[in-house]
Amino acid sequence: MYSLSSRLLISVSVLLLLFFGITIAVLDTAFTEAGEQARRDILDGQLVALLAAAEPDDSGELALPERLREPRFGQIGSGLYGELRSAAGDVIWRSQSALGLEIPEGTVPELGNHLFARESLPDETPLLTLSLAVEWEIDENTSKPYVFKVAESLDSFNAQVAGFRGQLFGWFAAVAAIMLLAFSFLLRGLMKPLRKIETEIGEIESGDRASLSGQFPTELTGVARNMNLLIDSERARSDRYRFTLDNLAHSLKTPLAGMRALLADRHREEFDQRVNEQIDRMDEIVRYQLRKPAAAVAEKLVLQSVNVDKEIARLVDGLRKVYHDKAPVFDVNVQTGLQFRGDTGDFLELAGNLLDNACKWCKKNIAISVVPSAGQSAIASGMVLSVSDDGPGIPQEAADALLQRGMRLDESTPGHGIGLAIVKDIARSYGGQLSISESKLGGAKITVSIPPLSSSN
Amino acid sequence: MRLLVIEDDDTLREMLAKRLTEAGFAVEQAADGKEGLYFAQEYPVDLAIIDLGLPEVSGLDIIRQVRADGKTYPILILTARDRWEDKVDGLSAGADDYVVKPFHFEEISARVNALLRRSGGWASSQLDAGPVSLDMSRQELSVNGAALELTSFEYKIIEYLMVRAGQVISKSELTDRLYDQDFERDSNVIEVFIGRLRKKMDPDNTLKPIETLRGRGYRFALERNQSD
Repeated sequence: MYSLSSRLLISVSVLLLLFFGITIAVLDTAFTEAGEQARRDILDGQLVALLAAAEPDDSGELALPERLREPRFGQIGSGLYGELRSAAGDVIWRSQSALGLEIPEGTVPELGNHLFARESLPDETPLLTLSLAVEWEIDENTSKPYVFKVAESLDSFNAQVAGFRGQLFGWFAAVAAIMLLAFSFLLRGLMKPLRKIETEIGEIESGDRASLSGQFPTELTGVARNMNLLIDSERARSDRYRFTLDNLAHSLKTPLAGMRALLADRHREEFDQRVNEQIDRMDEIVRYQLRKPAAAVAEKLVLQSVNVDKEIARLVDGLRKVYHDKAPVFDVNVQTGLQFRGDTGDFLELAGNLLDNACKWCKKNIAISVVPSAGQSAIASGMVLSVSDDGPGIPQEAADALLQRGMRLDESTPGHGIGLAIVKDIARSYGGQLSISESKLGGAKITVSIPPLSSSN
Repeated sequence: MRLLVIEDDDTLREMLAKRLTEAGFAVEQAADGKEGLYFAQEYPVDLAIIDLGLPEVSGLDIIRQVRADGKTYPILILTARDRWEDKVDGLSAGADDYVVKPFHFEEISARVNALLRRSGGWASSQLDAGPVSLDMSRQELSVNGAALELTSFEYKIIEYLMVRAGQVISKSELTDRLYDQDFERDSNVIEVFIGRLRKKMDPDNTLKPIETLRGRGYRFALERNQSD
């Protein structure tokens, strides 16, 4: 995998090559065409000069003087050649410059017409030629057809074009090199924040730094913030595991010590019962730990969406089976399509424990309602989940004690269950809270409020 | 009643089978998911106790398969996982109740009795039909308030018939459901027990609680009391 810098440099080089290639081709064509046009105009002028200098001689044949106004016609090998031919193709006159050269006759234009052509001498020298076929009035009664032809060697023109091309390539190559150099300097500057992130992550890995510094360009602030969230959540998770393990190990020691003490006294009547009590206690401790919240708010990056009405329906169906004999009547009030942003297991734990308690304590009626709670700058709505029953309710002092006291592993009271403690823990981990009040049905109403998930917290 | 216990932990499975047998059930055991699925599909079973975490085929898959085959007997799941997610998955797959490990045997026994009674359409553990009353939790049969002395087999037969009050139960079904497989099957024994039960429950032959349908089997004939 190429680095970002290499990819950008390769892309920019290809673009420059394409741009300069097209520019060079356009300039070259324009230069060549303009040069050729200028050559044609000059040839046209030379042809007119030949026509002006031509005079019929005494024998009634058209002739040209020895010396012409254009000196190049008189210099041998000057590259400018003139020729006069009869209609039959016989050479009547040829300029001195063409001495020893055989100018090809080429295509003869129709009478009165010009014809430009590219031809070449026998030695492959390229020529631009202009021919004109005329009917010359010798005297009042006679006129004869002639073909005037001027030709110019293209050697110097081609050398000029080649020189121009050489310069063009040279300049453009220099400009491209300067641009690429400037771009790579620019890139170094642009990549600096990324290298900074890389360095800081390295420092975090080696333990020299706690989190990313947060001083990054706007485009990278989100990435840095999410990485800090991830690092925090990983750190919190590892702290939590360590704390849980520590707590679990310590809390299991008490019942273990109790059992060891019982062993010494195994002949007592209530031995079985007391061992069972210790086993129940250990079981409760383990169950509590295993059912603790799966998600912490810091892990909101990876939370799923839970389909609330579907999960509540599954729970109610399940509980109808379990409490078949009691046959509680459920009044379910859940907004269709309501989504809870969190872990499915956590949601089922919240609703499952509350509904299970309600089934245990109710006389007949249970009401469950889940409504969304929205907030400013929220990226996912929160929810208010409440479960009411028509059972005996929870006395105020007991409710206060339940809400205030933190659930300590080794002080769970047998018979009180661990459901509410788990609900409280999970609600807290989502930044929410648990409240206990009196329900309209006559029993307890337990409400869990989970605040909306905002992008800033 | 014939129960199927599918549990891969040998100690737990054997302990459960032993206690359930002592409680008067005929018990089949399977130690892995594959064998369990085969038993659950092929054996005459009144209730299955299925552990969720099984090797080869998971408990959830067995439940789904059994329900897909149209079998309606109650299923009790055993799970070491106490999260509601697992319980709801099991109940949604077709189980009827759950027990979380570790458990007291009394809890299993109470759930099993409740599920069996429910499958026969009874609402409480006391089955009342006319003057006859059967207390499943105490395994006690009384007529007009007087408790009867029954042998274990006599109790098993009257319990099976009363739970399915009104249904015709063939002799072969009774033998299948009440005897362990290795017990020698002899349908005459059933006739003897039915005869004894009739004498104990209805010495004057006025109540006629157990009806014989020639060539088809027996039926508990008394009407269930309204409250049930």
